[in-house]
Amino acid sequence: MSQTFLLEPDIIAATENVMPDLNTDLVLAKNYLKQQSAATGDSVYDHLVDIVQKLLSQKPPDVVDNFEQYSWEVKQDKFKPNFDLLNDLYMSPPQMSLTRSMDQMFRLVASKAEKLGDIGEEEQELDLEEDNFKPRITDLLENNHYFKEGGYGLPDNECYAIYISLIMLGIKEPVATIRFFGKIFGTKANYYVAETDLTIEELDRRIREFELKDMPGEGEGEGESHHSEEEAEMAAEGEAREPVSKEPVRPKMPPEPTITWTPPAPIPVERPGQGVNRKVYYVCNNPGEDWICLPDLTPDHIRVARHTVRCMTGDLDAEVVTFPPFEGTERHYLHAQICRIAAATSVSPQGFYTFGSGEEEEDLDMEEGAGDMAFNLNPFYHGHSLKDLLDSNLTYWVHHGRYILKQGRTIWWNPNAEMEEGLEEEDEVEGPPSVPPEIGPPLFTTLAEDARIEGLKPWSTRISSILVPERAVVTIRSNIWPGAVAYATGKRSECMYVGWGLKFQPPNFSPLQLPKPQDEYPIGPEVMEMADPTFADEEAYRIAHLPPPPPPELPGEGEDFGEEGEVENE
Amino acid sequence: MEVHKLWEYKEYINVNGMMLTNELISFLQNSLTLLQVENHFKHIQYWGQLYAVDADYHIACGINDDAILDRKYYYSTDFKFWGLLPKAKKKYKHLSLLATFPFRGEPSLKLKVLDEQLEENNPERCLIMSEENRLAATISNICEEAEICARGQLIKQPSGTVVINPNFYGLTAAEGKHLKSYLHIRLAQHRWNTNLLTRQDYNYSMDFLDSVDQDIPNGCWNLSLERGGTVAYLRSLYWPGMTYFHKIRTQDAGFLYVGNGRKNLDVPFLL
Repeated sequence: MSQTFLLEPDIIAATENVMPDLNTDLVLAKNYLKQQSAATGDSVYDHLVDIVQKLLSQKPPDVVDNFEQYSWEVKQDKFKPNFDLLNDLYMSPPQMSLTRSMDQMFRLVASKAEKLGDIGEEEQELDLEEDNFKPRITDLLENNHYFKEGGYGLPDNECYAIYISLIMLGIKEPVATIRFFGKIFGTKANYYVAETDLTIEELDRRIREFELKDMPGEGEGEGESHHSEEEAEMAAEGEAREPVSKEPVRPKMPPEPTITWTPPAPIPVERPGQGVNRKVYYVCNNPGEDWICLPDLTPDHIRVARHTVRCMTGDLDAEVVTFPPFEGTERHYLHAQICRIAAATSVSPQGFYTFGSGEEEEDLDMEEGAGDMAFNLNPFYHGHSLKDLLDSNLTYWVHHGRYILKQGRTIWWNPNAEMEEGLEEEDEVEGPPSVPPEIGPPLFTTLAEDARIEGLKPWSTRISSILVPERAVVTIRSNIWPGAVAYATGKRSECMYVGWGLKFQPPNFSPLQLPKPQDEYPIGPEVMEMADPTFADEEAYRIAHLPPPPPPELPGEGEDFGEEGEVENE
Repeated sequence: MEVHKLWEYKEYINVNGMMLTNELISFLQNSLTLLQVENHFKHIQYWGQLYAVDADYHIACGINDDAILDRKYYYSTDFKFWGLLPKAKKKYKHLSLLATFPFRGEPSLKLKVLDEQLEENNPERCLIMSEENRLAATISNICEEAEICARGQLIKQPSGTVVINPNFYGLTAAEGKHLKSYLHIRLAQHRWNTNLLTRQDYNYSMDFLDSVDQDIPNGCWNLSLERGGTVAYLRSLYWPGMTYFHKIRTQDAGFLYVGNGRKNLDVPFLL
């Protein structure tokens, strides 16, 4: 800029005593502003024009305060690539991928609804039979409405999509009842979980499959035992051959230690439709995608899941790296967590469910098989008052989830059952000590008896409305499984879980310690490290162990001693 | 979250299955607007909810001239009386991390906290703090580690004051997928040029805060785009219950904490 003043025409003008002209000044200033920057080819003039144009067309408030940012935004706009210049590229909105699967689902459900409508019009008689095939789906929309009243639940758009996809599940899969269990967050994707009962035919098929799978398992066991017998024979042969060999006889080694530890008998898996596998869970990442059935659980899965903490990733085939090792992928782990949550947080007001069908007179034997008995909605349930449900002693709320025992089963399996049968026959006293059966709390135990954590009540009850108690909903949330809630109002009640699938374990999680290495031999003075005896020690030892001086009174005996000593020396 | 926009944000924020009920929003808007007028706050935000045994705490945050330094936190259990939270002392911040038992819902309650690290006869081994102090310390801890905003939501003016950007137009879809676009609302703990120069398109008025992607371990923030990629959600694993949402390409953004106020120290095992 300073250069411009030194240019020749200016100097000439100055010397010729010409008065400054406004027009030339303007032209000079404009020329300066129009100077293009070498880097971007942009000029201040164009930039100011753009800013002013943007300000006047958009008329944002308080421009002065944020002028810098406006200038920055105008510059930024220039860098936007314009795809339309070269070829007509269409950028589809990001919602596209989701829409595809949703659209397919809507079509399927709509066509099914149409078909059902047609049948209903044509043949009223067949309608009853048709009803048997139609799965019973709990009304998620209505339940979600009450959850939202209570301050929980899912957003409307999500909820509706899930409801439709539950109907799709009923069409595609052989299920009799469907309930929305909840949503489990994952690091990459979330899971929506549906809890179902299979149809009777499908259940029979699965039980048959399960039993078939069990048979080869026994075969393997026999094979293994055969193998071990062979090994034993080999060992025996080896011993027998030893004296025959003509090689110099080696000093006889002590026998190699054999493993005395036998693995405890595996706890049998509960068959489909029983215990932890009573309900079948279907999951999907997004409503509209296909529902995937989770595989059956073994007691071992539950045992390991109790010893670990881990986030879901959202990929059912992801590896589960834990200690103790987990046999299976994330789908097994997810199932184990769902079962644990379901067992701990399925709650309902007292009397909401009842054993048996409820309509007939109940003289059921509570003792027998109470751990795995079916229960149904109680038609005579009339609801409790708000005050009762809000009571902090929680005596009006009961569990309807089956307690999972330490074994990882809901029905206790006696590990010594076979042995005990044998004992009865042979009347022997020996045998492993009988294990006291584990007994969990029976179904419909009140929440008042739940264990407290850190002086914290495991459940908190809240009322949804202070202003309008007539419309209020009572919600109860679990403090042990954050995210598990249930509501009750009038004759309705339902529970739901939305969370990470993590248990609240104060103070913190600490991983299971590795087992102590086993001792190779018993610890004794032979194998212990100790200081060598010094000369003084040895002297003291020698003096202490000197043969006693021969008593002078009995010379005859002394001679005898000597003779014996000589005999020994020979 | 801006209190006056709670009705619009209601559908977006969903923490651990928790939703804002109509009654809660009505209560909050009424009582917090009154609080704002009494204290002449420029902005007032609903911060979240802390579960307690007897009654839950609701927390609000009033902002005056400076959006980082000039914040005041209030708590209430009944929406009638909002109490100012005391300034969190360093001692209580430490103790609140040690306390494992739940909040009671009674601010004047005295709590005994045992610091097992110290020796038996150290007089500081067992200290007493009131629940109000514990609440303040817990919230201050959460704020320091988990209060976040999108890049550009807060700008530093040439005078040095930080203000909420009135002309924030939201992140683009591409920006929203990166953890780098989300910043901690706290005084920067990294060097100023670290925050600035790790970006290609740095901007002095925006990149003066620490970005979330430098938090340890990698993955302690869970970023997910939902609703067909139109809403970005960030969830903290360290403070389960802290959720940040941002509707892509709009001004709508905010965070909400709903939880029991316990830091989850198991994060390294979770990932």
